Amino acid sequence: MPTYKLSYFEGQGLGEVSRQLLHLSETPFEDDRISQEDWPKRKDSMPFAKLPVLFVDGKPLPQSLAIARYLANQFGFAGKTPFESAWVDALGDQFKDYFSEMVPYFMALGGDNEEEKSRLQLEVAEPAINKFFSILEKRAKDNGSNGHFVGDSLTWIDIHISDHMGVGEKYFPNAYAAFPTVLALREGTVSLPKLKEWIEKRPVTPY
Amino acid sequence: FPNSMPTYKLTYFDTQGFAEVSRQLFILSDTPFEDNRIRYTESPFGKMPVLEVDGQPLSQSFAIARFLANKFGYAGRTEWEQAWVDALGDQFKDYLNEFLPFFRIAFGTANGDLEEMRKSEGEPIRDKFFGFLEKQAKSNGSNGFLVGDSLTWIDLVVADHMGVVEFHLPRFLDSFPEVQRVRRQVIETPKIKEWLERRPKRQY
Repeated sequence: MPTYKLSYFEGQGLGEVSRQLLHLSETPFEDDRISQEDWPKRKDSMPFAKLPVLFVDGKPLPQSLAIARYLANQFGFAGKTPFESAWVDALGDQFKDYFSEMVPYFMALGGDNEEEKSRLQLEVAEPAINKFFSILEKRAKDNGSNGHFVGDSLTWIDIHISDHMGVGEKYFPNAYAAFPTVLALREGTVSLPKLKEWIEKRPVTPY
Repeated sequence: FPNSMPTYKLTYFDTQGFAEVSRQLFILSDTPFEDNRIRYTESPFGKMPVLEVDGQPLSQSFAIARFLANKFGYAGRTEWEQAWVDALGDQFKDYLNEFLPFFRIAFGTANGDLEEMRKSEGEPIRDKFFGFLEKQAKSNGSNGFLVGDSLTWIDLVVADHMGVVEFHLPRFLDSFPEVQRVRRQVIETPKIKEWLERRPKRQY
């Protein structure tokens, strides 16, 4: 078995999906959590000066979705057919687009200007969430409301979205109330025994 | 899907943009496809391109490109190579998001001080990303490919983008010889060369 090290910041963010893939598959790995203080020293050792980076036998692979897809392919969480895998990828890329739109709101959450947070929640977060989660809701329904976005088994997009929702709700309670099929999908995902166990014991972080 | 070849329809604007890589994958593999160029269509995510495979839609340009590349053999030869192709693709997207505000001024769809933006944004953003590409091309063996020893979809994406950039900003990418080597490899590949001669000529 190769040795795995996942380097990311101390939060869930864009790295947690890959941590969860490793936990779900019971694959030992070094969960290398880099603090903000240490990041400047570590930056130059990362291929694109960003995190996360996965090291497999010491060789680096950057970019969160490339890492998630690579691990999902290793462990069987990438979809059962090429077309299913492509749909998982498409939802992953749509998540990235949504995430980019949310950045001004996330930045405000990291500060202490409460007016700014409220304003951006209304002007940025709500429209972006409505747009993306409407797509997800339809997708989950069209897929048969079977607890998965694609096909009939767990894929990395189920894991990634479910985790993101947990972070979102910390700052924006009931953010996803209008999306019941997606909420049910999330409940199913985080209740999986190996994930539930990890979620209970993982470090609690702001994001 | 049935064993006979599926029917493919690729719907996008009448430009290169985010669909060109997929058009080129069809061309390279001699796979017939309907090159549907329109202004708008219903699509799963409300955006284009959309690929229909036997009528079933798929959204997101890179999900489409990777699907076709996997089918036709342009995704990378090993899982690790494929992952690196993916990583470079996503890094390209991040770069493009940063680069577009300046680039839109260069191709005339936004207002601004071109020279000032070029110095403050265009050049540093270019240098960061093309620096990564130059390093990657070198560490890959300066063999004219970004990953592995054969053409992958990231070579097509980068080569096409370079063509668009140089059309509007001549010589802007001159300082990246290994990446220029990748680009030459792509545009001299016979089926691509022939396609570039006959495709609709568009500004981006």
